[in-house]
Amino acid sequence: MGQGVAAGRQDDLYLKASAEFGPALDRLARAYEADPSQRLDLLQDIHFALWRSFSGFAEQCSLRTWVYRVAHNVGISRRVRRRRPQLISLEEMDQLPAEGTPEENVHSIQALARLHALIRALKPPDGQVMLLYLEDMDAGAIGEITGLSARAVATRIHRIKALLARNFRRGEFP
Amino acid sequence: MTDIKTVWKNQPMEENSMITLSDIRVRADRFQFRIRLRNGALYLYSLANIALTLWLISRGVSPRYTAPGLLLLAAHLFVIWQLWWRTSARALPDDLVARAALDYHRQELERQRGAMAGAWLWYILPFMPGLLWELWLRATLHPANVPPVADRALVLFLILSALFFWTSVWLAFSWAAARLEVRIERLNVLKAE
Repeated sequence: MGQGVAAGRQDDLYLKASAEFGPALDRLARAYEADPSQRLDLLQDIHFALWRSFSGFAEQCSLRTWVYRVAHNVGISRRVRRRRPQLISLEEMDQLPAEGTPEENVHSIQALARLHALIRALKPPDGQVMLLYLEDMDAGAIGEITGLSARAVATRIHRIKALLARNFRRGEFP
Repeated sequence: MTDIKTVWKNQPMEENSMITLSDIRVRADRFQFRIRLRNGALYLYSLANIALTLWLISRGVSPRYTAPGLLLLAAHLFVIWQLWWRTSARALPDDLVARAALDYHRQELERQRGAMAGAWLWYILPFMPGLLWELWLRATLHPANVPPVADRALVLFLILSALFFWTSVWLAFSWAAARLEVRIERLNVLKAE
């Protein structure tokens, strides 16, 4: 691989990415997979794909973009391969009533469970945008990772904020 | 007051989720092993078919069906090779990260749609020469110990069964391709936004 990196550097890059983005990858796997054993399997798949991918890393983009692209692509591949329950878009989710009152969802465990359920129910790339939004990424970075235009990302973030506002206590998020 | 992003970022880590380089190497070995195992199973399946056909030919069990049997065998090998080629090369695409998530997702769907839409060519057509030849041979056999009416009914049943089976296969592939097309169109709309 002409533009790739040497084997030792592949390991170094992986270790660096794993140390820096390990917790984010863990959260991503949780959002994709409800079942704990499947989740761990997905997480290992992501790490394996990440390690393999670094043989072709020639700094085409930032390490963060690279890591998130690999992770989301592994997650999407898994969804494509496996038959999933009917997924819905953000527009369709807007029509659904919120589960539980915002007050009931305020406790972090319930809030997390609800967030995971929301993300898992969303079609790609809406689920990815929501995940990246929660990871505090700006619209530009989200667009770079998902391939959506800045306008499309902005529209989705607007809907996501509205969706979160309907499901969680008002004023608890920006 | 805690906001939802903070709740998200502070969620407890998965237990035993730390993955080391040696874990990765074990997984890489397992990945290679799975590919070798699947390929081995396919080769074994092919060899078993070849052995069975050759044994039947050498024993002269039904000489009329030797040539179409060989054709079906060749078709079987072709389909196995196609399945192997279409799946093994994509177990983990090399360009996994070269694309943004939306493009990658569309590429995956397009690849699957291509395989489904072209299934008549690589999954159905290869079996047709051998199958039609066998059916024709059976239709012209006219065994002396079977009454003509029963013989015709049996031939008709065989033809209709084959027609039903292969039409079902074709419809299943076409339906899957159409569903994938809808999903690709949705992604195209998103991309165009």
